Amino acid sequence: MAGAVRWRLAALFICTLLATPAFAQTGAVTARSVAQADNGNWEMPGKNVAATRFSAMREITPANVRNLRVAFTASTGINRGHEAPPLVIGGTMYLVTPFPNKLIALDLTKPGAPTKWVFNPKPPTAAQGVACCDVVNRGAVYANGRLFFNTLDGRTVAVDARSGKLAWQTKLGDIQRGETMTMAPTVANGKVIVGNSGGEMGVRGWIAALDTGSGRVVWKAFNTGPDKDVLIGPRFRPFYAMDRGKDLGVKTWPPGAWKIGGGSVWGWVSYDPQLRLIYYGTGNPGPWNPEQRPGDNKWTTGVFARDVDTGQAVWFYQSTPHDLYDHDDINEIILVDMPVAKRMRPVLLRPARNGFFYVHDRRTGQLLSAKPYSYMNVAKGIDPHTGRLIPVPEKEPKVGRVVRNICPAAPGAKDWNPAAFSPITGVVYIPHINLCMDMGALEANYIAGTPYVGADVKMYAGPGGNRGVFTAWDPVHARKVWEFKEDLPLWSPALATAGGLVFYGTMDGWFKAIDQRNGKLVWQFKTGSGIIGQPISYRGPDGHQYVAVMSGVGGWAGAIVAGKLDPRDGTAALGFVNAMKDLPARTDAGGMLYVFTLPR
Amino acid sequence: MNTVQSVFGGQGAEGAQFLSLMTLFTVVTTIIYLLVLAYLALALWRRRRTEHTVESGDHAAEPPPQRTALIGWVALVNTGLIVLTVASFLTDRAMARTASSPALEIEIIGHQWWWDVKYTGADPSQSLETANELHLPVGVPAHITLKSADVIHSFWVPNLAGKQDLIPGRQTDISIKPTRTGLFRSQCAEFCGVQHTHMALDVTVENRADFLRWYRAGLQPAKAPTAPLAKAGYAYVMTRQCAMCHNITGTEAGSHFGPDLTHLASRRSIAAGTLPMNRGNLYGWVADPQANKPGSKMPTLGLEPNELHAVVAYLETLK
Amino acid sequence: MSSPCRASLALAAVALLGGCDREERDSRGQPVTETVPAGATADTIYPGGPSGSTVTLSPKAAAYENNAYHIAQGQQLYGQMNCVGCHAHGGGGMGPALIDDEWRYGGRIEQIATTIVEGRPNGMPSFRGKLTDTQIWELAAYVRAMSGQVRKDAVGARTDEPSNTPPLTQTRREPIVPGEDATP
Repeated sequence: MAGAVRWRLAALFICTLLATPAFAQTGAVTARSVAQADNGNWEMPGKNVAATRFSAMREITPANVRNLRVAFTASTGINRGHEAPPLVIGGTMYLVTPFPNKLIALDLTKPGAPTKWVFNPKPPTAAQGVACCDVVNRGAVYANGRLFFNTLDGRTVAVDARSGKLAWQTKLGDIQRGETMTMAPTVANGKVIVGNSGGEMGVRGWIAALDTGSGRVVWKAFNTGPDKDVLIGPRFRPFYAMDRGKDLGVKTWPPGAWKIGGGSVWGWVSYDPQLRLIYYGTGNPGPWNPEQRPGDNKWTTGVFARDVDTGQAVWFYQSTPHDLYDHDDINEIILVDMPVAKRMRPVLLRPARNGFFYVHDRRTGQLLSAKPYSYMNVAKGIDPHTGRLIPVPEKEPKVGRVVRNICPAAPGAKDWNPAAFSPITGVVYIPHINLCMDMGALEANYIAGTPYVGADVKMYAGPGGNRGVFTAWDPVHARKVWEFKEDLPLWSPALATAGGLVFYGTMDGWFKAIDQRNGKLVWQFKTGSGIIGQPISYRGPDGHQYVAVMSGVGGWAGAIVAGKLDPRDGTAALGFVNAMKDLPARTDAGGMLYVFTLPR
Repeated sequence: MNTVQSVFGGQGAEGAQFLSLMTLFTVVTTIIYLLVLAYLALALWRRRRTEHTVESGDHAAEPPPQRTALIGWVALVNTGLIVLTVASFLTDRAMARTASSPALEIEIIGHQWWWDVKYTGADPSQSLETANELHLPVGVPAHITLKSADVIHSFWVPNLAGKQDLIPGRQTDISIKPTRTGLFRSQCAEFCGVQHTHMALDVTVENRADFLRWYRAGLQPAKAPTAPLAKAGYAYVMTRQCAMCHNITGTEAGSHFGPDLTHLASRRSIAAGTLPMNRGNLYGWVADPQANKPGSKMPTLGLEPNELHAVVAYLETLK
Repeated sequence: MSSPCRASLALAAVALLGGCDREERDSRGQPVTETVPAGATADTIYPGGPSGSTVTLSPKAAAYENNAYHIAQGQQLYGQMNCVGCHAHGGGGMGPALIDDEWRYGGRIEQIATTIVEGRPNGMPSFRGKLTDTQIWELAAYVRAMSGQVRKDAVGARTDEPSNTPPLTQTRREPIVPGEDATP
C-alpha cells in the first residue's frame, strides 16, 4: 500500500529470506534476526533489535485465517496482567509471568506442549506494594543459550535455556526506594540492557548494561543529575539547542529535586549494530504536579542514543520538556531505513505517548517529521527549528484547581504497547487509545517507598466516544493510511506477518486478525480474559506457522479487574478506573496461553 | 529585636504611601469635623441670643449672612473631598508604579498555621524554599504571589504594606518595597482556625549584601552532622516521624506537610512566631508541641529523653 | 421568661449536648503513648474455639470512631501520608479498595489500625514508629468512614478529590459481613 515508495529494506528483506542467513543489514534489522526469521523463532519481544515485531512467516493469509484453530493452551496459574510475549527458540516455548515472575518452559515437540521446567525467582511479596500499574512483566530475551529477564523486586536474572537453572542474578533496584523492574531487557553486543521502574514513586531513573556471561555491571547511566552520572561527555552532541548545556540534569530542576525526579526506563530499548548505538526513552518526571519542579526537567520524557559499549550519551531529544501529564517517552523505537526528501536515511520511528509520531535521523537525533497521530488539545505543535513542543498554557495543571478535558490523557495517545512495522506495506500498525482526563494537581510529599504523584485524575473517552483506536500510519508521508475505532482501549501490542495480517487483542478478550492492506477484520477468537500481551508467530517443530498470545487482563488499564478495584471512585488506579467501569462486567482476570494454527 | 509592629512605621514604600494618605485624610477630616463642631456651637449660642426675635412670627427669607456662610461651607467641603480624591488617586498610581517592575519574585503559601515561603525566579535551580521567615533587600521592589493550601489567611506586615488575603483556589498578590532596614513581624490577619494567633512571620529587611549572603547560605543543602549526638538525632529524624512531614534539603526527608527545616536554626522563631528560637524553646517545642500550640498539626511524639537530646542536637546543626 | 419557653430552652440544651462527644477535640491523645492493641487479630478462626468475646470494641476505638475531629484529621493525614497514592480516594490502585466490603485483614477499627502499624504481606508498608498512635487511630477512623461504617453526622461532608458527585463518605455502603461487625 505504500504506493510509490519501494523500500530498500523490503527488497533486502525478501532477498535475505532466499539468501544466506549471515547478512548484515544497513541497521534496520540485524543479521541475527534475519537468521531467526529463517528459523521461525521469536527470541526477543520486539522480534529483532530494530523492534519491527514482524514475522516473515507467510503460511497464514487473509484468505485462510478464518480456519485458524486452537492448537493448544496452557495456564500460568496467575491472575494478573500478562504483558509478556511467549518466546520460542527451537522446539521450546518460554513464558514469563507477572509477579512472582516465573519462567515456564513448554516442550513444543510433544502434543499439548507439556511443561519442561519452571524457574521461580521468588521475589519478596512486599514488591507488589510498590508496583504502580499492576505487577506486570514485559518479557524475557534469549541470547547465547540463556534467557534474561527482570523481577519485580529489582533483579536481572539469567537462566540457562535448556536446564532452567539460574546462571546469575544481579540486584539493581531497591523496593525500599520504590524501585521495581518490569521492562523486557534488550541484548546488544554481549550486554543485557536493563532499566528501572518507579516514576510514580520518586525514584531516580537509570539504565544499565550487564555482561551476558557474568551479570557484572559494565556501565550504568542515570537519567537525571550531573553530567558525570548521566554519562554525558565529549561525545554528546544533541541536535537541538534546548538539549545543550552543562549539568542540565541539575540546572533544570529546583535544588535536589532531580534526586527523586523520575526518568525511569521501563519501556523499550532498540539497538543499531552498525552505529553501535542503543536507543531508549526516559519516563516521566516526578511528581506529576508540575508546580513542584519548575524547569525543563532534563533528562526525563526524552530519547537517548548511547554507545552500547560504554554507555556514553551520543544524542538526546526531549519530546516533552517540563512534562505536565505523565507523558513518559518510553514507547518502542522502530529502526528502519526510509526515503526522506528522496534520499534514503537511517531513521527511527516513534509513536509517542504525547500524541506525535516522531521520525528522527538515528545518527544525530534530528527531527525529520513529527505529526499528531491522535487527537490532542494540549500542544499546538512542534517548532521545526528548535524542535521544542509548543504547549497550550490554559491546559497546565495547577494546584488547587481542576483542569478539565486534557487530551490525550495521562496514558497518552499510546502507552507502552508497541506497534508493529511491516516492510511489505511500509506501514506502522499502531494499536492505541483515545482518552481525555480531568486533572487536579496537589502538593506531593516525598516519603521513600510511597507514591510521589500529587494529582487527582479522572479519565474518560475522548472525542467520538471510543476509548480505543487502531491506526495504520505511513511514516514517509506522515499520514494515516486507515484507522478504525474500538470500544475499549487497545492495550495489547501488535504483530505483523509476511502473510499480510496484523494480530492484536482487545481488553475484553477478543484476539483479532486484520488485513494489513485495509484494516478489515478477517478473524477473531474470544479468549478467556482480556488480552494485553504481545502476540507472536513462529515456526513450530512440524514446520507450520503458529500464532501465540497470552490472555490475562491487567496492566494500568485493566487494574480495575486485576486488582478488584471499586468503580465508585473514579480517581482509582490514577484515574483509569473512571474510564473502565464497564470492564469487570465484560471480562475477568486470568492467565492463559493460546496457540493457534491452521488445520492440517 | 523586632521593631514595634505598627502601621505607623512607614518602613516600606507602600506603607509610607498609605501612611501619608492616612495622615492627609485625618487632617482634612479633622479640620472639617472641628469646623462642624464650631459651627454647631455658634448656632446654638446664636440661637439662644435671638430666640425672642423668631417667636415674633417673622418668617421672612433667610438673612444674607447665613446664605454666604452656607455657600462657603459647601465650597470648603467640596474642596476637601476633591483634595482627598485626588490624593487617593495619586497614591494608587504611585503604588501601581512601584508594583509594575518587581526585581524579586516570591511565593507564599499559607497553611494552618505556618507560612511556606518560596523564592522563585527564571532559574529553577536557584530557587529557595523556607518557612515562617521572609528576607527582603532594602529598596528593592518585591512581588509576592499569595496562595493558600487550606483556608483563607491574610498576609500583613503592618510596617511595610497593607493586607492581602490568601484564598484557596485563587492566586492573589502584593508588592512590597521596603525603604528601611530592620526586623519586622507579620501577622495572619484573617481568622483561620484555632491557632490563628500563632501564625506570625519574621520579616528581615537588610541591605543587598546581607540578603545575598543569606540567600546563598539558604541554597546550600543541610550539612551532614559530625558530632555523635547530632548523628543519633539525624538517624531519628530520618527514620522516625519527622521525615514523614518535614523537608530537609540534602537528606531523605522530602515531605511538605509541615514547614521546611533545612535552615531551621538560623531563624528567629519557632512555629511561626510562637516561641523565640533558642535551645530551651527547641526542647520545649519538640517535646510537646501541643502544649505550646494546641491543635496544631505537629503531634506530641512522646520522645524518650535521649531521643529528645539527640533530635534537638541535630536541629541545632541546621544553620 | 414563661414556663413553656424555659422548658423548650432546657430541652434544646440537652439535645445539643449530644453533639459534644462527636465534636470533642483532643489534640494530644490520652495518654500520649497509647498503643494500638497488639491483640487485634486479622482472622476469624481460632483453634480450639474462640477465647471469650472476640468482638468487643476497645474503648479507645470508640473514642476515635465516631468523633468528627479525629475523622477529619484522618482525612487530612490520608492525603498527606500518601495513602491516597496507593488506595486512591478509596477505589484502590496499587493497593486494594477501601470503600468496598472486602477486607483482607479485617475491617474493624482495631484491625485497620493494626494493619497500618504492622504493614501486611503483599505490599502494605508498616508505619510503626513513623506515625504517632493518635494519628494511626485517626487514619483507621477515616478508613472506616470511607466505607460507610461510622455515624453519618461524624463524617465530613466535603471530600478532597475533584468531583461533581456527592462525597463517597456520604453514600450508602455495604456493612461488614455480620459476625465481623464490631458494633455491639
